[in-house]
Amino acid sequence: MNKKFWLVSPPVLLLIAFCVIPLFIMVYFSFLSDGADPHLTLSNYLDFFQKGFYLKLTWKTISTSLIVTIICILIGYPMAYIMAKVINSGKTIILIAIIIPFWTSQLVRAYSWQNLLRDGGILEMILRKFHLIGSEPLGILFTQTAVIIALVHIFFPYMVITIYMSLEKMDHSIIEASKSLNAGPFTTFWRIILPLSKPGIISGSILVFVPSLGVFVEPRILGGTKGSVIGTVIEDQFFEIYGWNFGAAIAFILLMIVLISIAILSKFAKEEV
Amino acid sequence: MIKKGFGWLYTGIIFIFLYAPIAVLMLMSFNKSQYNSLPFQFSTRWYKDLANDQTLIDASLTSIYIAAVTAIFCVILATMLMLWIVQTKSKWKKWIDSLVILPLTIPWLILGLALLLLLNFLKLDKNYFVLLIGHIIVSLPYTVMVIKARLQSLDLTINEASASLGANEWTTFRKITLPLLFPAMLAGGFLAFVISFDNFILSYFLIPSGHSTLPIEIYSSIKFGFTPVINAVSTIILAGTTIVILFIIMVMKASLKYLFK
Repeated sequence: MNKKFWLVSPPVLLLIAFCVIPLFIMVYFSFLSDGADPHLTLSNYLDFFQKGFYLKLTWKTISTSLIVTIICILIGYPMAYIMAKVINSGKTIILIAIIIPFWTSQLVRAYSWQNLLRDGGILEMILRKFHLIGSEPLGILFTQTAVIIALVHIFFPYMVITIYMSLEKMDHSIIEASKSLNAGPFTTFWRIILPLSKPGIISGSILVFVPSLGVFVEPRILGGTKGSVIGTVIEDQFFEIYGWNFGAAIAFILLMIVLISIAILSKFAKEEV
Repeated sequence: MIKKGFGWLYTGIIFIFLYAPIAVLMLMSFNKSQYNSLPFQFSTRWYKDLANDQTLIDASLTSIYIAAVTAIFCVILATMLMLWIVQTKSKWKKWIDSLVILPLTIPWLILGLALLLLLNFLKLDKNYFVLLIGHIIVSLPYTVMVIKARLQSLDLTINEASASLGANEWTTFRKITLPLLFPAMLAGGFLAFVISFDNFILSYFLIPSGHSTLPIEIYSSIKFGFTPVINAVSTIILAGTTIVILFIIMVMKASLKYLFK
């Protein structure tokens, strides 16, 4: 036993008592039946897996997070690459400018898209001015597209930063070596740079995919009735329907999806690096 | 060079994407129209409304109070934890590392409802004590990250030097470690403050009925039809957090590169 255990025990006990134990209590409630005389039952889980609605919802949640992650990689990678390899000056300022919105209120940033995306809003006016759309309304707000745009906006700094870190660490002489062996820029990128930046892409994907699974504010504010995901259904169970035990079961399923995704992605990261 | 030009162009497009919604929101907070409609007419009317909105002011004060308490506890707990982690050879270290990161891995939605179920299990009403603990738990990993980055950038042999000169552990901590760590503690505290102040989900689940925080007020205003006052209060929040974040980055400049390790 370490002699300075008194230093570490308060934070550790706090986390065990108010983070680990509540999760077990959540699992306990998820096996309880509703009503005045609760008893242990599997019915909450059976309800979930027998109703097509919830399975569809689960798939929608996972696919939305996947789409968000892929878009983040596609637009984040070039940004990280530009910062690491193309420009020499102003890197720190760009990095800071990417981080700042990331730390500002997620709620406010989700809300800020309402002004931009709504019918008759600024984006519609700009697009119409350039004759990119006709007189029909934009029709983005309160759809899945609006939710995806906002989630990309919120989470993509993670992707830029992790990919940037892995590109920055890369030994430039490897790229020179590849060039001197007559590899074209495409081959160098595909065979050398991309595989070496894989750890960055994967940790970025964990940081984007996992939090996207558990959102409910963005779907609520921007997705309208079409935006329902697991998160919004859990919120409904706790604040509208008062089906807490069923809500706990859905939350536990969500937690399992989160943990399984982390396990799969971390396994990817360990392979052939 | 074409490559560089293209690089800056792409950076510009990304920045428009990042900042356009925020810029529009800020602009609209100075627009006279009730329905955010254009053309733009400058007005500070919504800020005046805000100054008279007692509900929003009370909610803001509650948020500030929660964030301040959270920040103080996060700094103390994170410092204790880190002082232990840097000098320990315990086999528990790995477990404790993962335990501290746990609240980052679990969606806040789940943490919030798990704490609510804990209260229910203990047959207790929602209270500020558990609300504060929830805020502390979700902010702690960030404070730990900042303090850890600073500790990694420090040369800890200086502590041994101090000990070899006969200083006891308390003196070494007070005279050597604490002053060196102070900037990171400050930065970590402000970071916890910002995270707690902006935290909607934990408060939403755990706030005692009849009370509210600023994010809760914003959320319900957005849900039940928007009001331009929310644009004004959001602008103030964005400006405030940006200043705090810039301050943190300035303080942490030296150890910034350790932050993501």
